Amino acid sequence: MQRYILRRLAQLVPTLLLITMMVFALMHAIPGDPARMMVGAGDSLDEAQLAVVRREYNLDRPVPVQYAIWLGRALTGDLGRSSANQRRVGEELLLRASVTFELGLFAWLIAAAIAIPAGVIAAVHRGRMPDLVATLVAVGAVAMPGFWVGIMLILLFGVRLGWLPTQGYVPLGSNFGEGLRHMVLPAVALGITSAALMMRQMRSALLEVLSLDYIRTARAKGLAKWSVVIGHALRNAMLPVVTVMGLEVGRIFAGAVVIETLFGVPGMGRLMVQAVFQHDFTVVQGCVLVMASAVLAANFVTDIMYTVLDPRIRYGG
Amino acid sequence: MARSTSMNRRTVLKGATLGAGSTVLLARHGRAAADKPQYGGTLRAAYQLAPGALDPVVGRSGGDAYYWRQFTDPLVDADPALNPRAATSLAESWDVSDPKSVTLKLRKGVVFHDGTPFDAAAVKFNIERLLDPATKATPRAAFGPVESVEALDEHLVRFRLKRPWGSVLGTLADRGGAMNSPAAVKALGADYAFKPVSTGPFKIAEYVSGSKVRFVRNEKYWGRDEAGNPLPYLDEIVMNIVPSETVQVSALKAGELDLVYLPYREVSNFLGSSAYNIQSFEGGAIACTLSFNWAKPPMDNVNLRLALATAINAEGINKAAFFGRAIVAKGGMWPTGAWAYDPTVPRPSYSITKAKEYLAAGGKPGGFEMDALFWPSETNTAFAEIIRAQCAAVGIKLNLKSAEVTVATEKFYYGGEAPMFITSWSRYPEPDWNASLIYRSDGYYNAGKVKNEKLDALVDEGAATVDIPRRKQIYRQVDEIVLGQALMVPMIYGVTYAAAQKTVMGVENVFGWDAKMYLHRMWLKKG
Repeated sequence: MQRYILRRLAQLVPTLLLITMMVFALMHAIPGDPARMMVGAGDSLDEAQLAVVRREYNLDRPVPVQYAIWLGRALTGDLGRSSANQRRVGEELLLRASVTFELGLFAWLIAAAIAIPAGVIAAVHRGRMPDLVATLVAVGAVAMPGFWVGIMLILLFGVRLGWLPTQGYVPLGSNFGEGLRHMVLPAVALGITSAALMMRQMRSALLEVLSLDYIRTARAKGLAKWSVVIGHALRNAMLPVVTVMGLEVGRIFAGAVVIETLFGVPGMGRLMVQAVFQHDFTVVQGCVLVMASAVLAANFVTDIMYTVLDPRIRYGG
Repeated sequence: MARSTSMNRRTVLKGATLGAGSTVLLARHGRAAADKPQYGGTLRAAYQLAPGALDPVVGRSGGDAYYWRQFTDPLVDADPALNPRAATSLAESWDVSDPKSVTLKLRKGVVFHDGTPFDAAAVKFNIERLLDPATKATPRAAFGPVESVEALDEHLVRFRLKRPWGSVLGTLADRGGAMNSPAAVKALGADYAFKPVSTGPFKIAEYVSGSKVRFVRNEKYWGRDEAGNPLPYLDEIVMNIVPSETVQVSALKAGELDLVYLPYREVSNFLGSSAYNIQSFEGGAIACTLSFNWAKPPMDNVNLRLALATAINAEGINKAAFFGRAIVAKGGMWPTGAWAYDPTVPRPSYSITKAKEYLAAGGKPGGFEMDALFWPSETNTAFAEIIRAQCAAVGIKLNLKSAEVTVATEKFYYGGEAPMFITSWSRYPEPDWNASLIYRSDGYYNAGKVKNEKLDALVDEGAATVDIPRRKQIYRQVDEIVLGQALMVPMIYGVTYAAAQKTVMGVENVFGWDAKMYLHRMWLKKG
């Protein structure tokens, strides 16, 4: 087990390197002079100033050298300064990433909290009313884009009913109640698609397990219906659900780009969108590093979860 | 020292009525003006973009003005028609009569937020800082005529010039004229970009990355209102960064914000409601303009340019893309309200018959096909599509190509990749900015870098002339060439609409000369 964990960890390193390398190459594949792109189109900086920019960001050197310099500094924790606003990328990311993690975690918890019970109920009542309702809602939720759900939530709960704030962000640390109130709508908008997918997975996995022999045996022993479902079936059915839940971390990060912009949540998604539009290479690179690390970490945890949930899964060294 | 305020009475009056879109608004505005300003309170406003940087000199985003304007004063301020306005300027008076120098007499008793005195040495430091390439100052090119700066005494400063500088006063009203505390600049280095220290009525209390900028009252502010009361009235301003216009509007309706600018599609709803204070500013932008590469076929042919420009029905664009809330352009690139605006210059106007005549004269009686670049946004995509449809009616087939704004701009003006660019433009009321950058043969926005000697000579003369009535004549001649040959043809002038809660007073002063938010004079009515 320990060796397995170590090996999986070691595998993360080349993946991460490859991702940062690809992003670096992509940013430099934008046609035109990178210094000009970096400072924005137009007349804003003249040649003497562009020369300063090139020197500062090593743009006058070959791309592989630039990457090596970036990587060397990144290993010491220095991600450079934003070319758009001169702020330190590391500090900025720390602030923004914590916001996105907060939002993402909240969205993910909401999704799981809806999906698992709904999936169980749908499976147990297969083909009957609760199943149909849950399936219909889930299909709808998958089909609705998050930003549209977000606007509808704003109109209903923010403008019409006035229950929840429509935009902005309050750190949970500074005012827990207000922070939570600001987080509810974006988290629901962000989590709703994931909830639907997780629910579908829960339902089909549970149905499969419920048709197995050992469940029939458990029933035959005279165990109560729900104690069979919860005590015997659920744990085995969770395996594919955990896989989906792990994969949903990636989707939630991707969705945060849109949802953060809609709700004015100052997270990493918005930071990255703005940086891409401003051709702020250093910030984009930093964001990708953090996001890729988070998704890889989620996959890693999912793998480990398998062995915990199903002792039959043993990985040889 | 002679104070050169060569504004004429007519432009002043025009400036004064700006912002009042209708008589109804005027009546409201009159009632508001009768109230005595109250002190205190926090104004919650919103803007779409985070600041590029808060230091006015190094920020490169046009939207940065929503932030830096609140905590700075310009050396020479301008009213909405861009006439110099001494009352809100750091210079009490100025002398621009000598073509080789500009002399400013500075206001006494002004200090930066950190207590550093504002004096001639500080001005010298600031101008030299932005001229140094290592600062990467955005307005460096605009200060090109400056040879050197001398502090003549504590409150008298002189710019020595390499060449006459007609646009000096307008330039000093923009970001380069905002003053930064020399002590803070030296102490903070690169971090100064987000911790600027200036002289304005508010100072920065905090910047929450990506979320908001909070400003608090500068207790030591020098400014007074007309009745002699100290400014500002507000205790605090919170400028929230709310990227979605839809959400800005719903937050205003939910009472979470006090002041926002309205997207065009919302204007009718708000004008029909008496629940908000509404103000408008005509000519807040060039909302839709046709930019041509005069060297790239087929747009190197003047008749084909004219054919295209006359094939377009601006009224239709206004109705469909702007919900009828913008205005059809009647002049050139200096919009309504700017002193250089001249609606009497002949310009291409919609006529299918004329368009067909120009096509024939250009040797393409059956029409032609070409690429047209645009950058997508809700409004831009709409008007690009309308223009394509209108051109098709006379046989001009436009292949629309879209790219993100920075890329499209660079592709068109620098890369010369398309004969035509359908875009929008900021309000630049100082005519030399557009003239030198678009019309001069070496201007960045002269995509084909085409030389027109008469135009170059006029641009240079305009740039070197200080007297506004004389400059008006020069820029009229520029417009005659530009519009007559369809070099750059604006179709729609934008109208900026502000909506505020009923408790927000002074909304008639919300527009800076560039139509961006200027919150120095706002106050909140209690109870």
